[in-house]
Amino acid sequence: MCSVGDENFETEEEKCMPAGGKITLANTKCNKCRENDPIVVLRSKDAYCEACFLAGATHKFKALLGKHKLIRPNDKVLIHHQIGHPSTALLHFLRCGLDLTTHKKLRFDVIFVYVEDNSQFTVDYRKEVLKKIENEIKLFKFVIKFVSFNDYIVNNNKLGDIVDNPDNLTLNEDDKININNIFVSKLNKTNKNDILHIKKRNLLIEIAKNLNCKFILTPEISSDIASQLLGEISLGRGSHVPIDTGFCDDRNQDVKILRPLRLFDMKELAFYNKLNSLDPISIKQTEINPYSSVQDLMKKFVNDLQVNYPATVTTIMKTGDKLAINDNGKQKCQLCMGPILNSNEELSSAESTSFSHWVSTQKPDNSKEKSRQEKYDSILKHYKVSENNNYCYSCKKIEGSIKS
Amino acid sequence: MPLCSANCGSNAILKRPKTGDALCKECFFEAFENEVHFTITKARLFEPGKTVAIAASGGKDSTVLAYVLKLLNEKFKYNLKLVLLSIDEGITGYRDDSLDTVKKNRDDYEMPLKIMSYKDLYGWTMDEIVAEIGRKNNCTFCGVFRRQALDRGANLLKVDYLATGHNADDIAETVLMNILRGDLARLNRCTSIITDSGDGIPRVKPLKYTYEKEIVMYAYFRKLIYFSTECVFAPNAYRGHARVLLKDLEKIDPSVIMNIIQSGESLKVNETANMPTLTKCSRCNYVSSQTVCKACVLLEGLNKGLPRLGIGKSSKVKRILEENEKKNCDSTSCCRTNNCKKDIEGVEKCTDKLSSVNLIK
Repeated sequence: MCSVGDENFETEEEKCMPAGGKITLANTKCNKCRENDPIVVLRSKDAYCEACFLAGATHKFKALLGKHKLIRPNDKVLIHHQIGHPSTALLHFLRCGLDLTTHKKLRFDVIFVYVEDNSQFTVDYRKEVLKKIENEIKLFKFVIKFVSFNDYIVNNNKLGDIVDNPDNLTLNEDDKININNIFVSKLNKTNKNDILHIKKRNLLIEIAKNLNCKFILTPEISSDIASQLLGEISLGRGSHVPIDTGFCDDRNQDVKILRPLRLFDMKELAFYNKLNSLDPISIKQTEINPYSSVQDLMKKFVNDLQVNYPATVTTIMKTGDKLAINDNGKQKCQLCMGPILNSNEELSSAESTSFSHWVSTQKPDNSKEKSRQEKYDSILKHYKVSENNNYCYSCKKIEGSIKS
Repeated sequence: MPLCSANCGSNAILKRPKTGDALCKECFFEAFENEVHFTITKARLFEPGKTVAIAASGGKDSTVLAYVLKLLNEKFKYNLKLVLLSIDEGITGYRDDSLDTVKKNRDDYEMPLKIMSYKDLYGWTMDEIVAEIGRKNNCTFCGVFRRQALDRGANLLKVDYLATGHNADDIAETVLMNILRGDLARLNRCTSIITDSGDGIPRVKPLKYTYEKEIVMYAYFRKLIYFSTECVFAPNAYRGHARVLLKDLEKIDPSVIMNIIQSGESLKVNETANMPTLTKCSRCNYVSSQTVCKACVLLEGLNKGLPRLGIGKSSKVKRILEENEKKNCDSTSCCRTNNCKKDIEGVEKCTDKLSSVNLIK
């Protein structure tokens, strides 16, 4: 059936985002100072010269932190360090901000942590990577700690050693197998990605508490946030979108997770690093089939769409920013720690699914005497909405798959 | 073949995408119908004794909806009066054939049928519109006109509800599309099972939680007659990014569709976010977000020989509309309100003509 017009779209064009135009650097001046020749085009339309670009990037970083007024002077802040352009740029932003002598100086203490989760590689290679990370941090005169993600999972979510020297991390060739044996073997890749993401967040919070940090800065950039948002929606975590993808994740009372790079795109940070002569560490990339999990598909979808429609990522993010956390219930999910929605009288997707499963497993009553209404009533009589209120909608599904 | 999950002893013939359970044919029929009944009763879609118009295109969704509503109405004594409401866009080789299917439904299910035609309502068939504006953008006209035609039809029939065949896939796709478009207002209301189009006749979606795949299987096993040809003017219409994405997601994990609906239902829009307000069209008095609704703009374009009016930017349209009005004022020295009145009367005349035609039985 043709469904054009079903959702009140008034024109065909309205359904789509505007396509990006082409811009050339020839014959244009910097969009900001209108004087110098531009060297970079952002958002496929705005050209900037080197000085304006660098000043703009630094301002964007500080403005976002400053706007929210969350971090107070002398607070201890944990930086979740990863490999790649965003983390390297973050190192530089922080070093420059802390070294300033003007009133714009960043006035908090930072400590870096690297969570080792490279069990897909050989131990030798993992050690090599750790050494490189240590050196990169040293270059910026920061302190970094190392924690093993495998230890945390294998030891039943207990925080293990936080070590200063990467040589003291215990790495085993069969780490990957151990992780799989714990809980992952029963899950599909989507749920596995989801639960590992949650566990990593929980681990970071544990580390922050241990190191007396009130804040964690993570290096997600705009496209990460956009694909994360679509992924959350597809996993049924719609009510958690603001804490999962917003600037501040305050689901934990003691430790807040902040995403200071969420308004940057990769090109911006890669240029920033290039112009500051910074070369991020590279790591072997494992090939991922984009159709193997919801999260991988969303990454591919967002990145593909972004090429032709440069407004994709910002539109998705702006949509997310206009959503509020839905926490009509006081209870928190035991796995993801997000608020659990109180089930109200209204029929929900979750209840419809659970009823569908119920009617699909009820032995049919073939007696001729009973009317359809009576048969239905007896099915409904024994149907109960599950009362397990320890988990949110999505985590309940994951728990269900692990236990089955 | 695995055994039926309901333990009836038969071999299963299908695996349900919604739950992963395997069912035999008989148990599938029962489960499918019980679920729609559960949705209708739990969401309190209908009150007994009322009249429901089923928006019928002859396609699989509306055919299954008509069949199931009739069946449930009898078995569970809803005490509803069911009528079919169809739109004749005037597309040769597509709608004429699919209307034959609807007429067959009318006879098979013994429901009265009302057909609203674009020709009667607007003075134009889609064939004529396409001849005027070409194959590009013609869906804009069709979509805008259809929505209004359904509203007008429901009003004319004086029904209490308008039931549409939107299925779970449609809803999930709309959620994704509204996120990609940044449309907060629609994102907020698109998962509602009952919506109000502003005229007091609630639109209801009894198949909201039913998978498209199961609708196709139900129609197939019940041997229902439906029309599955695509529109001649827009084969592959409406296959936007959101649909492609949803189909890919469904391949990875079919339960994603229910997840997305769950997300849509539990979203909360920030109170500080700006939301558009709905007003009434100053010409035809139908609900619109603009002062003049899209249908009136498109119609004016067609009638004034400017068929592309209303296709482009809305600011440009506004300017042209104002210029046109100015010209009218100069030449006939009539004021704007008179002009509007004339338009309303024009439309009312067509609807009067329609109401005099008795329901086809």
